[in-house]
Amino acid sequence: MAQGSTRRDFFRDLGIGAAALPFLLNLPSLGFANQAARKKRLVVMFSPNGIVPKTFWPDDEGDKFALKESLKPLEPFRDRSLILKGVCDKVRGDGDNHMRGMGCLLTGVELFPGNIQGGSDTPAGWASGLSIDQEIKNRLQARPETKTRFGSLEFGVMVPDRADTWTRMVYAGPNKPLAPIDDPYQMFAKLYGQSKDRETLKSILDDVQDDLKKVSSKISVEDRQLLDEHATFVREMEQELKESGNAKIGHPVPEIEPGVKEENDNIPRISKMQIDLMVHSFAADFARVATMQYTNSVGGARMRWLGVNEGHHELSHNPDSDEKSQEKLTKINKWYCEQLAYMAKRLAETPEPGGGGSLLDNTMIVWTNELGKGNSHTLEDIPFVLVGNGLDFKMGRSIKYPKLPHNRLLLSLAEGMGHPIKRFGNPNFCGDGPLPKLT
Amino acid sequence: MVASSPARSDELAGEKVYRQKCASCHGAAGEGTPEDFPRPLAGDKSIPQLAHLIAKTMPSDDPGTCVGEDADKVAAFIYNAFYSKAAQARQKPPRIELSRLTVRQYRNSVTDLIETFQPPARWDDQRGLKAEYFKTRRFRDESRVVERIDGEVHFDYKLSSPDPAKIDPKEFSIRWRGSVLVPETGEYEFVVRTENSARLWVNDLKRPLIDASVKSGKDTEYRGTIRLLGGRPYAIRLEYFKGKDGVEDSKEKKAKAQVEPGSISLEWKLPQQSVEVIPRRNLSPVSFPETFVLDTPLPPDDRSVGYERGTTVSKAWDQATTDAAIEVACYVTAHLRDLAGVADNASDRKAKLRDFTLRFAERAFRRPLTDDLKQRYVDRHFADGRDPELAVKRAVMLVLKSPRFLYREINEGQSDSYDIASRISFGLWDSLPDRALLDAAKAGQLLTREQVARQAERMMPDLRTHAKVREFFLQWLRVEQVPDISKDPKLYPGFDKAIVSDLRTSLDLFLNDVIWSESADFRQILLADTLYLNGRLAKFYGADLPPDAPFKKVSREPRDRAGVLSHPYLMATFAYTATSSPIHRGVFVSRSVLGRSLRPPPEAIAPLAPDLHAGLSTRERVTLQTKPTVCMSCHGMINPLGFGMESFDAVGRFRKVEQGRAIDASGSYEAPSGEVTKYAGARELAGLLAASEETHSAFIEQLFHNVVKQPIRAYGPYELAELRSSFVANGFHIRKLMVEIVASTALVPRDAGRKVADRATSGGQVDRFRSPGVFSEN
Repeated sequence: MAQGSTRRDFFRDLGIGAAALPFLLNLPSLGFANQAARKKRLVVMFSPNGIVPKTFWPDDEGDKFALKESLKPLEPFRDRSLILKGVCDKVRGDGDNHMRGMGCLLTGVELFPGNIQGGSDTPAGWASGLSIDQEIKNRLQARPETKTRFGSLEFGVMVPDRADTWTRMVYAGPNKPLAPIDDPYQMFAKLYGQSKDRETLKSILDDVQDDLKKVSSKISVEDRQLLDEHATFVREMEQELKESGNAKIGHPVPEIEPGVKEENDNIPRISKMQIDLMVHSFAADFARVATMQYTNSVGGARMRWLGVNEGHHELSHNPDSDEKSQEKLTKINKWYCEQLAYMAKRLAETPEPGGGGSLLDNTMIVWTNELGKGNSHTLEDIPFVLVGNGLDFKMGRSIKYPKLPHNRLLLSLAEGMGHPIKRFGNPNFCGDGPLPKLT
Repeated sequence: MVASSPARSDELAGEKVYRQKCASCHGAAGEGTPEDFPRPLAGDKSIPQLAHLIAKTMPSDDPGTCVGEDADKVAAFIYNAFYSKAAQARQKPPRIELSRLTVRQYRNSVTDLIETFQPPARWDDQRGLKAEYFKTRRFRDESRVVERIDGEVHFDYKLSSPDPAKIDPKEFSIRWRGSVLVPETGEYEFVVRTENSARLWVNDLKRPLIDASVKSGKDTEYRGTIRLLGGRPYAIRLEYFKGKDGVEDSKEKKAKAQVEPGSISLEWKLPQQSVEVIPRRNLSPVSFPETFVLDTPLPPDDRSVGYERGTTVSKAWDQATTDAAIEVACYVTAHLRDLAGVADNASDRKAKLRDFTLRFAERAFRRPLTDDLKQRYVDRHFADGRDPELAVKRAVMLVLKSPRFLYREINEGQSDSYDIASRISFGLWDSLPDRALLDAAKAGQLLTREQVARQAERMMPDLRTHAKVREFFLQWLRVEQVPDISKDPKLYPGFDKAIVSDLRTSLDLFLNDVIWSESADFRQILLADTLYLNGRLAKFYGADLPPDAPFKKVSREPRDRAGVLSHPYLMATFAYTATSSPIHRGVFVSRSVLGRSLRPPPEAIAPLAPDLHAGLSTRERVTLQTKPTVCMSCHGMINPLGFGMESFDAVGRFRKVEQGRAIDASGSYEAPSGEVTKYAGARELAGLLAASEETHSAFIEQLFHNVVKQPIRAYGPYELAELRSSFVANGFHIRKLMVEIVASTALVPRDAGRKVADRATSGGQVDRFRSPGVFSEN
């Protein structure tokens, strides 16, 4: 069940609970301990309501394919992209396709029966298993050489403030959906609050010393001992803070644009801020796994900045014959693809700390969707567009599969991340293991 | 102090003997010698008891050579020179020491500091939660059909509805609102049980603690854990939904739908107790504002002298208070809109935030700020055109790291009325003075003992006093840590976690009943022949109540009950898993009730195993094991006190026989005067103890230390005697005793305590610094 983390978790994440200890543990050092095996990262990026097949899927297979309108922004990364058609979400059971498309996307397993009624089918609850990103994260966190401060980070952009089957794709376990953080300031606090507070703390310790001295001079000799002892501790803390300040930090705390409100028209700004924070968090090796969820399944973003005034979901229901809607939907998906391209660009231009190459050389982004196509609500041909060189897949290709279950792609991702498993989610859809032709 | 001359000459003779025969091992002033007897000679035996011990055992290489008058004289000398507590006090005069806030005081202080900026709310006499019933799955005013107060939330609607005339069982919703009073500090697990969907908020009404609005799979039980500070009410809201959520069904589909079963139950698990439906007595329909509860763990206080005190600091403490300062600063800046009452875009935002910071500092330091301090703690941070929010954060951190917040009475210069206000509030609440106290300090209305007493009386009914008193009693009874008292399930079938949990509640209700009754008679704690039982306990302990009966005071039932001395929770605590433990019970009576100090046994000893001594009763086994002389110096007192409770087995059930043999619950009590009284059974023992001056003094001293957190002797050698006479005069009224303790100490500044002690040691006349003329010594 959905359970908000407690404030204690929040502080633990901030690392404040050990405000004095952290100065010994320089954050970056955790991640750079082992340079033997290359770091591997996985990002799952989600956008809703299906795509327009004719402006999305390349006509050709293999390495000689042309990018169509929806995927045009990927042109600079064509050689580092892998477009997979024919991967299908075959999980059935309770819930309508939007719900299953979302809840089974990364879990590969049925939803529990429940009280959430969709537009059709039976009502359903949460997914009955954990999601692949969390499976991989658990594996990485269990090993000292791949353990990072957070393990995984769940980003969001304009995710509605309600927890239901349409708004959650990441699961820590059966009935345990994880909420994405869609407020960049909240994410910033989670990532950097500690360093900011340490700076503030540093700036007050002199004053504390001064006043201790002043107070101390007015009290009896016997009582003064206690304050002298106290003053020693404050001095020690100041010293430790100073030392940690001199140590090399992987990268400076990023500046983020202040005062951006969470509202529809700010989606482009929020998207950029979240991507920047994600890239920074990778550079600092805070996590090796991340998700980026744009709105939600049936999300209704109004992309007025593209000249599209209708909500995304309502547009997606219009028939293929409605050319205007098809154009608008193509624009919308192209905009999402631009976000993907921006993410790839930022990763590509950020050097891999402690190793050669760029972050993108060690990161795989998987862009996906809860549906194949909006107006049919099909779960066939779920779009999976991969960018980056994190997983030793052979990139720069377009592959068409004969309707293989998406569980097998989830297995491929786990294997690519160094976690070979035989089954994930519903075992009936795991067939012969990871998808063929990827490497 | 002033001994008559014959006694004095006896003592001189005693000193001579001591020098000859004892000093070589025990040291010239009883301090001990490293080789022979490293422990100092100090304790609480009476002169006759000491004489008896000396005659029998001393000198240890040749016992029996210091007997009769010699033994009496040596005993008298030892007693008055260094052995007795008074002599110890003379040797090392206690003083009122500089103290930092204890952990409890720190937690309460930061909570109350932030609460200053919240709207006030009062825990009144209404119990239960405010309930609104809606005939739709959403809360719409027009579909609200029932409003009422529900005592507890524990409903099984099955296929029906809460009000079949107004509410269709297929779809409805209910909202409960109010507050929940939390008895002790710790992790609380809230549990919502429902076959449908629900959400629960506790304290923070913006973020649900439990979000089960999506019904998923077979789950019907939802849990959420939250750390709460005892003695405070927290806002609570529970929303319950029956029917589907998401896309609305068509009318036809709705009509065809089957009725699903409906149920909802709101439960909790107190720290280390069992899950229970949140009882009505802990619920109020009044909603309280959010309470700040510190999460940062703080290292425990020194309790080596029997009470928590803040007279030491450590690196761990400095770090913890730093972490805590950051935590508070983060909370404050995240809640500035509510706390400072200023919108994000207000034009006078900076000025308002500065004012807020000033009030925050004044409240934290418990006094108005001088110009210098205002500059240092407030204005400087707002001076350069920096982000005012960051200024607040910095200032809050600095204030909470300041010695002026962390320590008690550390202001420069003379002690003043604001110190008095703090002494009263830390004494009764372990927290900051409230507005009324600070106003009284400002108006110069905290100058006399009567004024202080009036404030203490005003503050007495506050929930914070309840919490502090409760904690004291649980400490006094040595059960504050929630002991594990599980028993051998073969011997005591049915004595499960639920029973243990109920027993703790039963003890709690009993203490509460005595302490907060009109007479508040301390003796009733020992004498009461009543026991709180609910249906479950009644069944186990053999009383006549319906199985689902709530807690009820049951008189003279089961039998021979004598307040805490026979309360099954304590009886089970002071027992082994299979048998009673007269030693543990006797130690409890000696230490807690009589306030005697006992040394640990000379070596670790395992109790004799019952099955190896099948022919012996528990009493006989204990007697056998503690027979050696080296044991009897303490067990001579412990055993005859512990045997009095032998009528209660390891789960506190009354018994007349043990393994076919009649129980012998007779024993004896030796007063400090040496007078020995025999008794039989817990009730007679309770009678002796309740009438004993020793018991009264011990209770006063322990309560004093809990309230004041300074040694009672730092307040002059007559403090205890004076408190005792007022305790007697007030009919052993517990709450009046607290008022007296506060009234007699609040006007004493830290330095004055030292002056008294100085005078006492310099051998001059002892006088009372605080009420000259009241006491005149001849």
